Amino acid sequence: MSRNEIRLRRKRLSTHGSDRFRNYGFVLKSHEQNQRLKKILKVFTFFAVILIVVVLMIILFRWETRGTHKTPIENSEKIQTIP
Amino acid sequence: MTEEEIRNEQEIIERSKKDAKAFGELYEKYFDPIFNYIYRQTDDEELAADLCSQTFINALNNLNRYEFRGVPFSAWVYKIAGNEVNKHYRKNKGRKIFSIEEVKVIELVEKAQEGWDEELITKLIDFMKNLPTDMLQVLELRFFEDKDFKEIAFILDITESGAKMRTYRALDKLRKNFNIKVKYDE
Repeated sequence: MSRNEIRLRRKRLSTHGSDRFRNYGFVLKSHEQNQRLKKILKVFTFFAVILIVVVLMIILFRWETRGTHKTPIENSEKIQTIP
Repeated sequence: MTEEEIRNEQEIIERSKKDAKAFGELYEKYFDPIFNYIYRQTDDEELAADLCSQTFINALNNLNRYEFRGVPFSAWVYKIAGNEVNKHYRKNKGRKIFSIEEVKVIELVEKAQEGWDEELITKLIDFMKNLPTDMLQVLELRFFEDKDFKEIAFILDITESGAKMRTYRALDKLRKNFNIKVKYDE
């Protein structure tokens, strides 16, 4: 089996044969849609990053406060067990 | 392409980066050659039109990344078009089509002694079917699109010497198999 398919064309490609497919309006519209999508994605990423940072800060804060609340209880328990 | 033409094009590109409407000028200028380039590799007008639109949409979307590297802007658009065609063939897993104009083949190759006949053309086409795709791509860009080796290298993402080597290897094969003179021999 051959690697490529070669088709021989008798007709020469004309410079204006493709005119009916020419549509810059469509290209421009697609580009604008793409730009809008990129903007939405940027805003979404920005807020997602902020949300992740805030959640991490809350977790860290809770972990810290839990740590500071636990230590006096542990100390008091230790004092009570001393004979 | 003259230096002034390249400078004008760069000005349009800079304007297009700020206002996409300015890109219309380049679209009008390159639509036909890019459409024909894709059509030669698909032999389907509707498909060529779709891939051509996608090429210009991609070019416009990525215009901020474009920088002048010593080759005309058209080479960058040809590169995007080539990628679109390759993407299409990868997706559809079909054999690559090269639709060649008979007149161009005759222009490219001149038989040494006798005139052209149908049999020779058929043999030549059969021979080209078995040439590696990368060789055919180089031949197409060099002889049907009239690109120089620097542009070919940029479009196919290979070195300039690599582009020359591929072309000369393909031409050597043609000469050995058909005892023909190639018009563009240097």
